Amino acid sequence: MADKLFDRRDFLSGAVTAATSLASPRLIGGAATVLGLAASPARAEEPRRGGVMNIILQPEPATLVLALNITSQNQLVASKIYSGLLTYGFDLKPLPNLATSWEISPDGLSYTFHLAKNAKWHDGKPFTADDVIFTTREMLPEVHARARVNFSQVASAEAPDPHTVIFHLKTPYPGFICAFETSSAPMMPKHIYAGTDYRNNPANEHPIGTGPFRFKEWQRGSIVRMERNPDYFKPGLPYLDGINFVVIPDGAQRLIALETGQVHLASSSDIEFNDLARLRELPNIQLETRGYEFLAPLSWLEMNNTRKPMDDKRFRQAVMYALDRDFIRDKIFYGFARVPTGPIHSAVSFYDGNVKRYPFDRKKSEALLDEMGLKRGADGMRVKLELNPAPISQTWMRLVQYTKQALRQVGIDVTIRNMDQASSVASMGNHDFDMCFVTNTAFGDPAVGVARSYITSNIRKGVPFTNTCQYSNPRVDQLFDAAAKSNDRNERQRLYTEVQQILAEDVPVAWLLEMEYASSLNRQMRDVITTGVGVSESFDRAWMTA
Amino acid sequence: MAIMYRLLRHKGAAFGAAVIALVVILAAAASILYPAGPFEMVGGTFEPPFQHAYPLGTDGLGRDVLTSIVYGTRVSLLVAVVSTVVAVTIGLLVGAVSGYFGDRLDDLLMRITELFQTIPSFIFAVVLIAIFTPNIGSIVAAISIVSWPPVARLVRGEFLAIRHREYVEAAVVLGVSTPRIIFVEILPNVISPVVVLASLMVANAILLEAGISFLGLGDQNLMSWGYMIGEGRSTIRDAWWLSVFPGIAIVVTVLALNLIGDGLNDALNPRLARGVRA
Amino acid sequence: MNGALYIGQRLGKGAVVVLAIIIVNFLLIRMAPGDPATVMAGESGAADAVYVAQLRKTFGLDRPIPEQLAIYVANIGRLDLGYSHRMQRPVFDMIVERLPATLLLTVTAFLFSLLAGITLGAIAAARAGRLSDTLITVVSLIFYATPIFWVGLMGILLFTVTLGWLPAFGMTNVSAGQGGLAAGLDIARHLIMPALTLGLFHMAVYARLTRASMLEVFGLDYVRTAYAKGLPRGRVVRMHVLRNAVLPVLTFAGLQAGQLIGGAIVVETVFAWPGIGRLAFDALMQRDYATLLGAFVFTSAMGVIFNLLTDLAYLVLNPQITLER
Repeated sequence: MADKLFDRRDFLSGAVTAATSLASPRLIGGAATVLGLAASPARAEEPRRGGVMNIILQPEPATLVLALNITSQNQLVASKIYSGLLTYGFDLKPLPNLATSWEISPDGLSYTFHLAKNAKWHDGKPFTADDVIFTTREMLPEVHARARVNFSQVASAEAPDPHTVIFHLKTPYPGFICAFETSSAPMMPKHIYAGTDYRNNPANEHPIGTGPFRFKEWQRGSIVRMERNPDYFKPGLPYLDGINFVVIPDGAQRLIALETGQVHLASSSDIEFNDLARLRELPNIQLETRGYEFLAPLSWLEMNNTRKPMDDKRFRQAVMYALDRDFIRDKIFYGFARVPTGPIHSAVSFYDGNVKRYPFDRKKSEALLDEMGLKRGADGMRVKLELNPAPISQTWMRLVQYTKQALRQVGIDVTIRNMDQASSVASMGNHDFDMCFVTNTAFGDPAVGVARSYITSNIRKGVPFTNTCQYSNPRVDQLFDAAAKSNDRNERQRLYTEVQQILAEDVPVAWLLEMEYASSLNRQMRDVITTGVGVSESFDRAWMTA
Repeated sequence: MAIMYRLLRHKGAAFGAAVIALVVILAAAASILYPAGPFEMVGGTFEPPFQHAYPLGTDGLGRDVLTSIVYGTRVSLLVAVVSTVVAVTIGLLVGAVSGYFGDRLDDLLMRITELFQTIPSFIFAVVLIAIFTPNIGSIVAAISIVSWPPVARLVRGEFLAIRHREYVEAAVVLGVSTPRIIFVEILPNVISPVVVLASLMVANAILLEAGISFLGLGDQNLMSWGYMIGEGRSTIRDAWWLSVFPGIAIVVTVLALNLIGDGLNDALNPRLARGVRA
Repeated sequence: MNGALYIGQRLGKGAVVVLAIIIVNFLLIRMAPGDPATVMAGESGAADAVYVAQLRKTFGLDRPIPEQLAIYVANIGRLDLGYSHRMQRPVFDMIVERLPATLLLTVTAFLFSLLAGITLGAIAAARAGRLSDTLITVVSLIFYATPIFWVGLMGILLFTVTLGWLPAFGMTNVSAGQGGLAAGLDIARHLIMPALTLGLFHMAVYARLTRASMLEVFGLDYVRTAYAKGLPRGRVVRMHVLRNAVLPVLTFAGLQAGQLIGGAIVVETVFAWPGIGRLAFDALMQRDYATLLGAFVFTSAMGVIFNLLTDLAYLVLNPQITLER
């Protein structure tokens, strides 16, 4: 399960296949190979053109302009309107999107993208390299936190012709190829946004992109409608006539809508896990757990490494031993998860499972606590700590409750703090917490999504979702830094393997679950989840049986 | 039949008192009966009720529903009684001052009372709790703040009536200090209607607390009936017992308090009571 | 004192009450911990300091409090209840959008509770001491002791999960596009449980009140006189007793109307009814203060208006009352 990224040679061969097949009528066949669809047996079904797909949207995003709003709900919606240069397969290999082919220089400092020549904005203007440069050099760094970080690696960018973009990096950064997914770097029209106040641009009411679907209307609180883009740059696509995103605030109502076929797709967060288990049995519904490979969501119990007794790794190890992660996976998340072995999700490049393991073992946990000198008091408790709540959903609150009880068993007295989600996030950012729950996403490469939680330079008080556990290990910093800059696949694997081993020994945070989000699809639908981006894919090749 | 009806009233109060006594005993004895506490995961998840080990079933984490209901008595009683005491105290003060001094002060205080009465109390309580962060203290404070106006009105009315009675006038002439007059002369006569009102307020406070916990604004470290119902909501199709039993507990307790209130009303205001029965 | 002046006075008083509500709320909410900027950053998944600071600025959280309040109060006059940064919409628009749903629910519940309550109370009073009276009293007592949200859940358990007769959630079926009568019937079907749930508690209150009030009136002189004159019992009840007994119930109901709106927040949550109560709850969970404050002020104002309307109804029903303070 070592390397998911290909080397330079594979880039070129993959690019060539993609370029020829996109241009030719053998589109479906060629693309099918690239996308791994050929894995399925001889397809008796030909995609049918037509039909309108209904998708649940909850909660309603504030704005659909993807550059301004990258909440997961908006990724679901706006990824149909906007396009990125690349997308990523289940194996995280980059796949063409607006960029039909690309090359990386041997020294890893230059990335050249060749853009689709026939791509047009929804208002008819042509999509060119100028748009790419404007988007990545001007607009996104101002409004898009993640893109700002990714594109800060760029020293300069140039457009030798309207359909070619070259990025020159300051230092080699192999993770850069993962920066081009649609929600990570949505291409924005320069002719509409250049020189304007991005957030208050009147065009925000009617988003313009290059995607397979055009924005039609938005009845707030009710529905977002999109229709097929007849000028989409991939000929013959999309198959669907349109997509409706239906706003349904209530969980039970969403379930009914799905069961009765009124909607064709519900994303993971729309359905409670216990209901998912029931949906699995229904004849008209299929569950798809693929599609989260790019995000690779990993959830953990974060411990504040600067507070006693969590500054001692034995305590943190004791916590790991005290939590029955199989129980959590099976009884709280109804099997929709895997137990992680360390900081890197098993679907992410350079994952290595040869690390110290922590099976559920209360005796070991108590032994460690005893060794630390934390004796049980008169009330049976050794130490008192506070745990932030996670009032996101009932499932998460149950996890909070479970954690409290499980830790009590080994003598750690946990009190659940009374706060709302905003305050909890704020306290995490301000390092004002003992323990809290965090779900992090990897975005395809450990340098992009994983390192930020463990490196000393990302301990930034006041900002949540950084290294808030404040773990600081110079060797780990060194390893992450070198791995981010190395151009050599094997060397990167060596470095990441060592880092995983160190972190698994130090346990800065207690990794609990590799979330296996399940999308619920009506059986009429085909080819909806086709890449590692899952439901945030463009759906240009999704289709509906009669 | 009329006699039977009268008996029912008294029987009702007796029934109510018995239930409340049981609730108090359970609250006091909870840690003796179930020393591990309500959060302990004792059994399999989602065990249905009416089986040997778990008479009322278990929830999604394997916690015993019966244990949780018993512990829930503590939260309900604590919140309801404390908030009522606070609300009655505030109401007494405001009503006494308003009714005794009259004029401008009365106007001002009554305007304020009206203001608090006009605001929809549940929403007001919820907003207050959200502001002061949900915990047992802010819940009690919020319920007190939305509950005191009826007491103030009642006390004011009584004070207005009694203020000009002869014995009070006499005390004033004799130079008795104002606080003494208020607390020693007038207040004791106001107590009985206030007591009746208080019992109803305790009942109402339980309902308010249940609603607040149901919405998820309760204290996470305490097991309360409203919280149980809120938790059980998402699995109502598969685990109906999680929603049903805590609700029954609430209904029975509140009903008991209302019956006691009615009984007290009959006992303390016999004149009115007689008039009501045709 | 004539009617117009009275109405004017009442309106003025109501306005003052609403203003006081606004000021109280605004101050309270500003004292809260946590701020909206961090919530938005949290949802984005990858935050950094520049981004969060930018959000704070956009939300205007750096201007002095008195200035914010003064502007806010002035805006209310122009029906501008503020702007929800989270939803990127004016608060007033969101509230007005949801107003019909809440009105439909609360007015239906109000009418149901009044009609059912008065009817039951009248029957109980007319048959005082008999079995039906006992039955009605017991039922009233039970509903009076039951939390609204639990009634709703039990209703769902019975009528949706077990029997499958009634829909449990929302106002209409998800696939929109029905028109006219079909849509109306669909809404009506969805309205039954929420309205009943909201109304049952108050129905119990009004039943008890009506019963007590009627029994009191029965004992009054002029009623006995009417009997003495030989008027048929039914006519006496309808013309005199009911009319006069109902008036205090109506007054009380008017005062309670505001509380009904408060109960709507719970009912709308349980039944996913797309009204203002639900909006307020969502805003509360997300610390969207602009929306929360707006919804709060609006519902309080609605309570004041309901109160005023019932006062006027009282006036119409009983013109004998002189318009004196």
